[in-house]
Amino acid sequence: MKRAGQGRPDADVPDLQGLRDARLVMVTGKGGTGKSTSASAIARLLASQGRRVCLAELDSQRAALTAVFGHEPTFSPEEVLPNLWVMNITWPESLVAWLRTMIPVGRIVKAILANDTVRQFLDFVPGSREVVGLTVMQELQRRFDVVVVDMPASGHAFSTLDITRSALGLFRGGPVRARVEALRDMLRDDHTRLVVVALPEDMVVNETVETLERFRDAQLLGGRPLVLLNRALPPSLTTPERIVMDRLGALSMGEAAGDLIAAGQWDLEREAATEDAVVRLAEAARVQPVVVSPAPAGADPARTAEHIAAQLGRAMGVGREEVAWT
Amino acid sequence: MDLKAWLADTRLVVCVGSGGVGKTTSAAAIGLYAATMGRKAMVLTIDPAKRLANSLGLETMGGEPTRIDLGPLGDGVAADGELWAMMLDSRGTFDDLIGRIAPDEAARDRILANHVYRHMADAFAGSQDYMATEKLYDLVQDGRWDLIVLDTPPVKNALDFLESPGRVVRFLDEKVLGWLLAPYDRQAVWGSRIMQGTSTIVFRLLGMVFGKEFLDDLATFLQDFGGLYDGFRARHAAVVALLRADTTQFLAVCAPTTSSTDVARFFLEELEARDLPRAGILVNQVHRTAFDEVGVPDDLRAVAQRVAADMPEGTIDRVLGRLQRAHVRLRALAATEQAQAASVGQAAHGVGFLQQVPRIRGEVHDLSSLLKVGQAIFEVDAPQA
Repeated sequence: MKRAGQGRPDADVPDLQGLRDARLVMVTGKGGTGKSTSASAIARLLASQGRRVCLAELDSQRAALTAVFGHEPTFSPEEVLPNLWVMNITWPESLVAWLRTMIPVGRIVKAILANDTVRQFLDFVPGSREVVGLTVMQELQRRFDVVVVDMPASGHAFSTLDITRSALGLFRGGPVRARVEALRDMLRDDHTRLVVVALPEDMVVNETVETLERFRDAQLLGGRPLVLLNRALPPSLTTPERIVMDRLGALSMGEAAGDLIAAGQWDLEREAATEDAVVRLAEAARVQPVVVSPAPAGADPARTAEHIAAQLGRAMGVGREEVAWT
Repeated sequence: MDLKAWLADTRLVVCVGSGGVGKTTSAAAIGLYAATMGRKAMVLTIDPAKRLANSLGLETMGGEPTRIDLGPLGDGVAADGELWAMMLDSRGTFDDLIGRIAPDEAARDRILANHVYRHMADAFAGSQDYMATEKLYDLVQDGRWDLIVLDTPPVKNALDFLESPGRVVRFLDEKVLGWLLAPYDRQAVWGSRIMQGTSTIVFRLLGMVFGKEFLDDLATFLQDFGGLYDGFRARHAAVVALLRADTTQFLAVCAPTTSSTDVARFFLEELEARDLPRAGILVNQVHRTAFDEVGVPDDLRAVAQRVAADMPEGTIDRVLGRLQRAHVRLRALAATEQAQAASVGQAAHGVGFLQQVPRIRGEVHDLSSLLKVGQAIFEVDAPQA
């Protein structure tokens, strides 16, 4: 039996060096897998390595990073920990920044945006939000060593990045086309990495495999995506222990004893699901995930991010104290 | 509060909430339970990851209504009603819509063949949400179902899917269109026309940025698309009326975690601000424990010694230690979750019901486990929030 967390001959080992050296890290995954806490953890980890990191959320009215850092990020990056800046790539501000990259005269940009009709036009142009958001990420790379982006859920994240392909048919000339080509090259760059956060649950693993396939088929990315298997429990029991556990599970016990046995079965179920997830990711996508155990119950988002950073750091060979949150 | 009675009075349930909280499962469970009550239920999912198909045990579910074979559900439950499901095909829905409101076939074909349209249908952010409300309206008009359950996409930006129809209508507003189309109406040739005023300058700048090919495509598209304004506006008004109807109920679905209850609270506020009918909150995936002490109960130790007699030395202690650790964590988790449920209940005070649905063992991907979820929702009295 293969144990979770160990290498499988049919899967590529996680490209942690690629993550360590990345200049753009985009974090996605099915809803509820812990994208925002994982993105925060990666940003924290890279910052602890002495890199200047900007952690950005992609246009959310309800910034999920607020829960991690205690206050709402805005369009202007704010240093929250040493080497770590946090921001929200909000639409109106991004639009201004984007127009500035096209039209260098600030006064003209202002005049354009003062026109209501133009604003609605820009709102309506297909793909404008995606192109503008990606442009801001690209601009941020000039100011920071690495940009970590908390992307939308996988389906939406794919269409956001796929705009670099589909929009080429739409914009057949002009600076916007050149811009889209530059964004396409940014995604194909070897220093750009996609991280997909998954959980050891059938539906999540299925969606993760689908997401990896879509990205592979569309050839949008240069580097190999990294999969983070969050809230996973590697197997903890020997065969005799497992047999005893099964025997106990088959008995009808008093309330207290039954409660302990049920708790144990929850854990065992998660352990089995972790193994299944590792096998399925290897077989269907040739991917070996980085396995991250659940944070202690009741851990707040900051504590959870620290927990993930510590485990990811261990996989990278970084000491735990280096990624402490405070 | 008796949720069966609530469901009996409802014809449209809209499930809203963040991703990964079991929204699709809840929608399917509500539809299935309604079928056992004799209703003809349709579950519409928008999710691109085909999760509903997954939980219904269907390999493929296309953009057409599919009737689910309920077979024998077990436990003596008979389904007198029907359960149907379908997945939103955004592009197909958009094409259908254009076909319906276009003045003639030639106009329809011109729109469908246009570059801008093709990309807009595929990539226009929010068109998926918009198309969901469109399809919803169609399903209601169809009349084959007496209950429709809508599973909304896990949008980050709350009720975007309610906003997007308005966005299209606003854009098609004659003022905007007139402005954009002005140079074309005069049949002027791009680049050589003479125009006056600031809008001309702005328009020319947009041409410089987006490229003249794009603006030409857009203008051609809009000349046809603009003719659909009345059609779009009428549909939009009808959809809004449908969502505000007495028999429509919005249900906030969340998991007992900080981030998810936070989103649920936000949804409730947004619904109130839009004057949309709020049914209440479902808190999914709740863990429970009954034994509230630390330690290994004596009867468990005794039984463990008996069943592990043939195992190597130390096995019993390790198993009991493992059980204890698992229990300590489960207790802490259950306590945290109750605090979360209580806080969301407090915030939602006076809104409607607050139903907690226990996490069931194994994954919900067949009808019998879906039915268990349905029973947990409808057969346990729900407190008022």
